[in-house]
Amino acid sequence: MNPVIAVDNLRVRLGKREILKGISCRLGASGVGKAIGLLGPNGAGKSTLIQTLLGFHKPSAGAAQILGFDCHRQSLEVKTRIGYMPENDSLIADMTAVAFLRLMGELSGLPAPAALEKAHETLFHVGLGEARYRKVGTYSLGMKQMAKLAQAIIHGPELVILDEPTNGLDPAARQRMLVLIKEMKEQHGMNVLLCSHLLHDVEQVCDEVVILKDGQIVHQCDLVAERQANKRFVQLHVSGDDRNFGAALREIGAEGVSEAPGTWRIVLPLEVEVNALWRLTARENLRITKLAYRRDTLEEIFLKAVGHLQPSAQPEVAHGRI
Amino acid sequence: MAVFKRGYQRYAGPRTSNLTRFLAVPRFVWPKLLAERFVIILLVNSLFWPMLCAGFIYVSNHAELLPSLGSGGDDGIRKMLTIDGKFFAIFMNVQSTFAIILAAIAGPGLIAPDLANNALPLYFARPLSRWTYIGARMMVLFGLLSLVTLLPGLIVFGMQASLASSAWLAANWTLGQGMVLGFLLYIFMVSLIALTCSAYVKWRVVAGALVLGFFFVLAGASKIINQVFRVEWGSLLNPGYAIYTVWCALLGVETAEDAPGAWECFTVLLVMLGALLAVLLRKLRPVEVVS
Repeated sequence: MNPVIAVDNLRVRLGKREILKGISCRLGASGVGKAIGLLGPNGAGKSTLIQTLLGFHKPSAGAAQILGFDCHRQSLEVKTRIGYMPENDSLIADMTAVAFLRLMGELSGLPAPAALEKAHETLFHVGLGEARYRKVGTYSLGMKQMAKLAQAIIHGPELVILDEPTNGLDPAARQRMLVLIKEMKEQHGMNVLLCSHLLHDVEQVCDEVVILKDGQIVHQCDLVAERQANKRFVQLHVSGDDRNFGAALREIGAEGVSEAPGTWRIVLPLEVEVNALWRLTARENLRITKLAYRRDTLEEIFLKAVGHLQPSAQPEVAHGRI
Repeated sequence: MAVFKRGYQRYAGPRTSNLTRFLAVPRFVWPKLLAERFVIILLVNSLFWPMLCAGFIYVSNHAELLPSLGSGGDDGIRKMLTIDGKFFAIFMNVQSTFAIILAAIAGPGLIAPDLANNALPLYFARPLSRWTYIGARMMVLFGLLSLVTLLPGLIVFGMQASLASSAWLAANWTLGQGMVLGFLLYIFMVSLIALTCSAYVKWRVVAGALVLGFFFVLAGASKIINQVFRVEWGSLLNPGYAIYTVWCALLGVETAEDAPGAWECFTVLLVMLGALLAVLLRKLRPVEVVS
């Protein structure tokens, strides 16, 4: 399947500084709604990468393609197929939301009647239906974020680039935004490139993650595979005499390590269900006080990738897997 | 089905052409401009001079009216009433004043709000280049300024053509052509000045004053140069003078012999327009890059 974003040895220089230092990656799959998280500390080059994909910067070397079109040489083709939600306030304040969206729709190539219809439809979709005749400049921060999202999807793009979409939102609005992003990929088949500092948001909606640091990709992983792979790690807290529990675990084909009295870290083979642990603890007269799937959180992956977490302090990670 | 009952669906219908979609911008801006009181007042006032000219054309084409006007139909009056290149040069000169004022009112609100609202990334993330963005904004002013320049000019010319004999039209069609070309060049110049001022000055009043100042300050500077150095080429710096000289050449009207000619003026205008365009393009970037 063709990737949605293909970057090949991309170098971007702004002034005298090289911001992107030869990055290469293939992200997403054309025709399949996927969300890709773009992470990195401040100054890592995330915004520059997004702006290069949008054709705002000319690569000094290498190339970036979106849906098979070169971002610099075929920028009109690319821009017809993408929607962009900028990070900062970026609206036409003295227009009503309907007029604003209609204009944006028409500039994206929608005929005038379709643009009007889609403007209303999209505003209802993002929850601004009742406020659609208000000027955008009078909107609250949360409403402005929704209006920015609406203008990015009014023309039904194949790829939506969202730069910090949950910035400044209260918990309810943030949740609403995340639900909308999930719907975009799951129900409408759009691909989403999500740039955010909020790892929890990325973890909730993204299927793939790319971590940038100092203009280079330091980590790339498939979060779906990650979740599935890590599902077999179990942390177990028991009360009672657990001296024989290690041997009992080997009977069912599992491996276990006692981290502290009553605390076990267990690797279950794929064919063994968690129920087997309940049966085993009952047989050994142990009482389970806590059972948790242990998985590498995105925060751990991120911190390791950017070098803020010592590898020895955490389980070994290779491409996001323990 | 009511729109609020319908869920969001990705648009999958036909798309408009890349070449025409920028026309959406003027379509959204014109109604707002025409709702402004100053614009309406100016548009109405700009009609008086064309109406006077129309009356003048009517009288000049009805020689039988002259005795009743008390002139007795002498040759001096008849010569004065001739509709020629000079008549159209004066007509254009007066109408151009309205065009400058209109550009000073309407122009500053075109780019400055997009810069203040950081809206340029929204435009440039769409299939719209910097050139088409400028073209779209220029179309706004082109339409508006045409209402006070090209449109009345063509009506006046058409009136003269219909009232006079076909022989007049056959001999003077170049006047119509010259007027259209002259006004197009003028509209392009005034629009570019207004857009550049709008891109660099956030406050509308100041940007409007700058548009007017561009003409008056340069006119004053050119006079000073001419006086101090006892030369004539200083007039080239005066865009009003330069464009008038080009108009005169297009309409076949003679100008002062020792003053800069039409080609010199045209060249200076082209250089000026190129410089304005370069300055404007420099400002219109989707993102600021700090070196």
